[in-house]
Amino acid sequence: MSTEKRTMTLNLTEAEMKVVEDLAAKKDLSKTSLIRQALRLYQLVEVRVGKGDKLFFEDDRTKEKAEVMLL
Amino acid sequence: MTVEISSIVLLNVERGEPEAAELWDAITESQLSDWEAEWVPETFKAVQKLHRRGVERRLWPQSRHWNWRDKVAELQGLLGAKGFSIMCGGLTQGMMTLDMGSKRCRLEPQRGQHLVYVDYVENAPWNRKELMNSAPRYRGVGSIFIRTAIEVSGIEGFKGRIGLHALPQSESFYRNTCGMTELGKDSNYQNLSYFEMTPEQAIQFVQKGGSL
Repeated sequence: MSTEKRTMTLNLTEAEMKVVEDLAAKKDLSKTSLIRQALRLYQLVEVRVGKGDKLFFEDDRTKEKAEVMLL
Repeated sequence: MTVEISSIVLLNVERGEPEAAELWDAITESQLSDWEAEWVPETFKAVQKLHRRGVERRLWPQSRHWNWRDKVAELQGLLGAKGFSIMCGGLTQGMMTLDMGSKRCRLEPQRGQHLVYVDYVENAPWNRKELMNSAPRYRGVGSIFIRTAIEVSGIEGFKGRIGLHALPQSESFYRNTCGMTELGKDSNYQNLSYFEMTPEQAIQFVQKGGSL
């Protein structure tokens, strides 16, 4: 199950790096795993929206839906 | 596409001894052809026998509607999806797809953490006792797939956490053999029972060898 990996340098601002570090700590992930997850989610959203699907946030209590606008 | 093939062992029930098998980290045209030419006709015959024996429709295997060709096509190119298959005796004995990107844990205290979600997993019809009403040809397919999902979860940094919705005929396997925690029926998912595995449960399952 080994997939060959390639390395890249990522330049982030201090604020961006803090978000990466905070989310990695919160999600119990390494920074690499976190970025990988973000990329997977980005791709999934692009594919679904490309097929004509819409992305919503739903308020669990009121069931009110708000569409996320994507460019 | 490069396919990595690992050596595994299934239990040949008729001979009562282990048989060399292969775990593929992909579902290719070879497996899809087996599904179409071997699984579908066998499943059809088995459902016909259940019908003729007067077994209620609600007790027929729900996976009889699954179309693996469509499922695999849907996942093509997605970074967060991966397929696996098991080959033995010249035929596909099982297939599984994993979602590694879009699901989160529901069980306290790992709620909100990432997990590997077992999207679809199916055994070949001749390995399913409840379907064939006779001894299965091979045993061990389900356990090997769960071990594989745990291994992927570890590689991804999810520490062995996995989750899945179980068809009614498989609930006992996930509850008793795998030692997963059952979180009840999910009204948002065809009312199927949702199961989750913690890192501790994953270690226990792997240590006991994921019994055949």
